[in-house]
Amino acid sequence: MEPDDEIYANGEPDSSNNRNRPIISGEQLDIEAYAGLYTGRTKITRLLFIADQCGQNNNTAMQMEALRMAYEEIKKGENTQLFRDVVHKIDGRLGDKYGMDSAWCEAVDRRAVQKKEKLENELNAYRTNLIKESIRMGYNDFGDYHYTHGSLADAFKSYVRTRDYCTTSKHVIHMCMSAILVSIETGQFTHVTSYISKAEQTVDALDPNTVSKLHCAAGLAHLDSKKYKLAARKFLEVAPELGNSYNEVIAPQDVATYGGLCALASFDRMELKNKVIDSINFRNFLELVPEVRELIHDFYSSHYASCLEYLGNLKANLMLDIHLHDHVQTLYDQIRNKALIQYTHPFVSVDLHVMANAFKTTVAGLEKELEALITDNQIQARIDSHNKILYARHADQRNATFQRVLQTGNEFDRDVRAMLLRANLIKLEYKASRKL
Amino acid sequence: MDFSLLTDALSSKSYGKIADICDELMLKGAAEMEGVPFEEEWPFAIHLLAHIYVNDINSARYLWKSIPAAVKERQPEVVAAWRIGQRLWTRDYAAVHEAIRAFDWSQQIQPLVVAFSEVYTKRMFQLLLSAYSTIGIQDTALFLGMNEDDATNYVVQQGWVVDPDSRMLTSLKHYQTSTESRLIRHPLIGENSINLT
Amino acid sequence: MYTVESLVAQIQGLSSSAGDLSLLLTHLKQADEFLHNESTQLFPFLEQLDPTLHSLGYLYILEASTSGPVTNEQARRLVLLISRFLTSCVADQIRLAPEKFIAVCKSFKDQVLMLEAPVRGVVPLLEAVKKLRSSEHLTTLHPDFLQICLLAKCYKTGFSILEDDIFEVDQPRDFYLYCYYGGMICIGQKRFQKALELLHNVVTAPMSSINAIAVEAFKKYVLVSLIYNGQYYSSLAWMCILYIELANTYSIGKISELETYIQTNREKFDSDNNLGLVKQVVSSMYKRNIQRLTQTYLTLSLQDIANTVQLSSPKEAEMHVLQMIQDGEIYATINQRDGMVRFLEDPEQYKTCEMIEHIDSSIQRIMTLSKKLTAMDELISCDPLYLAKVGRERQRFDFDDFDSVPQKFNI
Repeated sequence: MEPDDEIYANGEPDSSNNRNRPIISGEQLDIEAYAGLYTGRTKITRLLFIADQCGQNNNTAMQMEALRMAYEEIKKGENTQLFRDVVHKIDGRLGDKYGMDSAWCEAVDRRAVQKKEKLENELNAYRTNLIKESIRMGYNDFGDYHYTHGSLADAFKSYVRTRDYCTTSKHVIHMCMSAILVSIETGQFTHVTSYISKAEQTVDALDPNTVSKLHCAAGLAHLDSKKYKLAARKFLEVAPELGNSYNEVIAPQDVATYGGLCALASFDRMELKNKVIDSINFRNFLELVPEVRELIHDFYSSHYASCLEYLGNLKANLMLDIHLHDHVQTLYDQIRNKALIQYTHPFVSVDLHVMANAFKTTVAGLEKELEALITDNQIQARIDSHNKILYARHADQRNATFQRVLQTGNEFDRDVRAMLLRANLIKLEYKASRKL
Repeated sequence: MDFSLLTDALSSKSYGKIADICDELMLKGAAEMEGVPFEEEWPFAIHLLAHIYVNDINSARYLWKSIPAAVKERQPEVVAAWRIGQRLWTRDYAAVHEAIRAFDWSQQIQPLVVAFSEVYTKRMFQLLLSAYSTIGIQDTALFLGMNEDDATNYVVQQGWVVDPDSRMLTSLKHYQTSTESRLIRHPLIGENSINLT
Repeated sequence: MYTVESLVAQIQGLSSSAGDLSLLLTHLKQADEFLHNESTQLFPFLEQLDPTLHSLGYLYILEASTSGPVTNEQARRLVLLISRFLTSCVADQIRLAPEKFIAVCKSFKDQVLMLEAPVRGVVPLLEAVKKLRSSEHLTTLHPDFLQICLLAKCYKTGFSILEDDIFEVDQPRDFYLYCYYGGMICIGQKRFQKALELLHNVVTAPMSSINAIAVEAFKKYVLVSLIYNGQYYSSLAWMCILYIELANTYSIGKISELETYIQTNREKFDSDNNLGLVKQVVSSMYKRNIQRLTQTYLTLSLQDIANTVQLSSPKEAEMHVLQMIQDGEIYATINQRDGMVRFLEDPEQYKTCEMIEHIDSSIQRIMTLSKKLTAMDELISCDPLYLAKVGRERQRFDFDDFDSVPQKFNI
């Protein structure tokens, strides 16, 4: 009786829900799914970061969930300091099961001391025997040891010390990758950048996957220094084969989100089309985060209202991202400005009521936004505030040229006179110095 | 001091030249004075008004600052002349007319003040013409220093249009262009502003 | 030995031809010390000389008689005497003894200031400057004249000599003072562009150590930049944090913040004698903010203008707009019926003959300046003094290079 309805019901809306459950979406973050994307230390720090953010926003349920998972994750490792921290943060709110486990801590610490002694003895032995490869391994083991126990600065030092004992390109790459991993964790992105370039110089040992990992790290470094265009370009170069292979740092979903938003904020229309929308490579990443894919397409096809709605929905979750949260507002502002500029670009005149509607704002608010963009010379137009119309302004080339000619003439006149005077003053000076 | 140049200029109504004549005479007089300070006999009121007449309020202001306090006390006409300058300096457009009317000017100065008053009214009308497309009758009267009827007559003679209901005056220049531009701009909006809904 | 009488006779006899005058000059130079010894006795003899016919001799005697300390009483007589001399003397004669002429003018300036009657010095010093200067040359009297004009509030007269080009300078200090006083006169005349140019000369002048004139000039330079250009950015920061901070506050564009800053530092600006300029900085911000709106809007209501520019009422906004129209700072028409302002483009179409002539004369002027610059460049690069200085430095390097070679042999 109701086949049509059924087809309709099974059609678009549902299939998109089933097809690919996005990790980052408009709905509240599914922490478990999110954490599942990562391994190692980043999984824990990301969970702790979420807990902190939620704590500030009084989202206790989510905070507790994140802390609980962090607790479990830490317990699998050997970092007792992190364990004490998380217990302190939980503060008994998750019941006895998530309380202090002193026995575990002592056991782990005891093992750690023994392990350290063993490593020290081994390393000393290698050093007296001057076996290069063994010394390298020794330092590397020390780096791993410090890393698992949470002393990142020592880990970095140990990894870097292996450098003098590297005998093959592969060793160099290994050293670089370790240094990069630790530096990303500590947020020292200048180190990240320098070890990336060191790794890239070692051309013969670079396999495609390592190249992709380096691109990811470079993207993060550029993001950190607010160079969004460079960040976007790096993320766009990552090959889809990366998959989950670098999930101690970044998930492929992140590549799509970071790269997509940075590109949207910093690329012109042409570059957006060529490098993002038409990129077969990047399409694979975008498939993982359909919202980002949709909003980029909306932006490109000028469906700004829909694009901005996606962005609005995503915002809360993006604010929980350890690398992106600081840049969300800037990126959003830039994207919105780009949208405003792009919207007005083709028209001789634009009805502000219609435009305000398209951008889900009031006419007065839109006027202020446009005012800022016009003042900044990003839009060449003027607002008829009386009739609420934006008119494109075609500067009179001839008049502008005359104006510039006169101005340049005046400046030249002034500068030459100042130059002549200064030359004369200098002449006086060297004449005086001669007399002395 | 030889005032013949100045008196000649005054009697031939060459008011525009007086400021320069006064400047020169005064500085020369100051340099060559013997015994009696030149300030005693210097016609500061005329000198001030001469600057005001050529719209050099800056010079009038510096002259006022250099006049000795004793002179200001003794000669109310000097103070009255500067009062005009002061209103001009603060751009209190309407008060300039009041300051002109507020003093009973001496016979020697009266023609200069009248001449300035006429020049100033013309200047004000030019300003209204360049700055307003429509303006209320009341404001117009204040700017021109007239009562409302006289002011209305004055601007209507210059081709302005009265709207008796709103008591607004529309400059003919803008009256034409505003209707024209409405005709031109409307189809433009229709063609080019594309509706996205 | 000399007597004053014999000198007077010589002056009377030797003042007509150029040859006579150079002979007279030699005599006078020899008699200079004698004249200075007799300085108190000289006044009556001036009566026997004519300042126009015997300018050179008159100058020598006048200089000698004013060289000592002058009492207030004497100053009264002297000021009149010197001012008559300065207006009636002959340029060709006094330029034979410029240092004497300058000394007389300096003492004249001091006397005028002592009598607290600067206005009496304006015309005589202007005459003196005109007689002493050659084209494009800054005399040491220029700054004195400007200072007297400032004190006498004769800005217009002072401004008249600022239009002349100055390229030649003898004393850097004269030049700094000329630019500083000149800048102040331009500020008084609201000729801000010229003021900036003059102050800029001081601020960027090559100087080995910072002097007080430059610091004061710098403060005014920042203020005038804000008034005229609406911004100050430059590598020149120096120690005037107060002013740099003012410029930074200005750049935010908020009247209230600017006024708060000025209010908190009011006394400091006042003690610098810059409070008047600082107030102009505030009103320039209103103008700047309104001007910015003209770049953005075709029409805008008076209410919106008042809100954006932080004025208290639409009427106040109307008055600001009206003043700016009057001064030609914006092009706009006010519509009182709708309470709207329509902003217009600059009506200048650059099509009039006057404009073409103006551009043409600018081009001519620039070409002349360029030639001057090239000439100056050639002159300096051929100047033996300059070459010696550069050469000396180069030689030092060469010696160092050679030095290291024999040392190796010594080892």
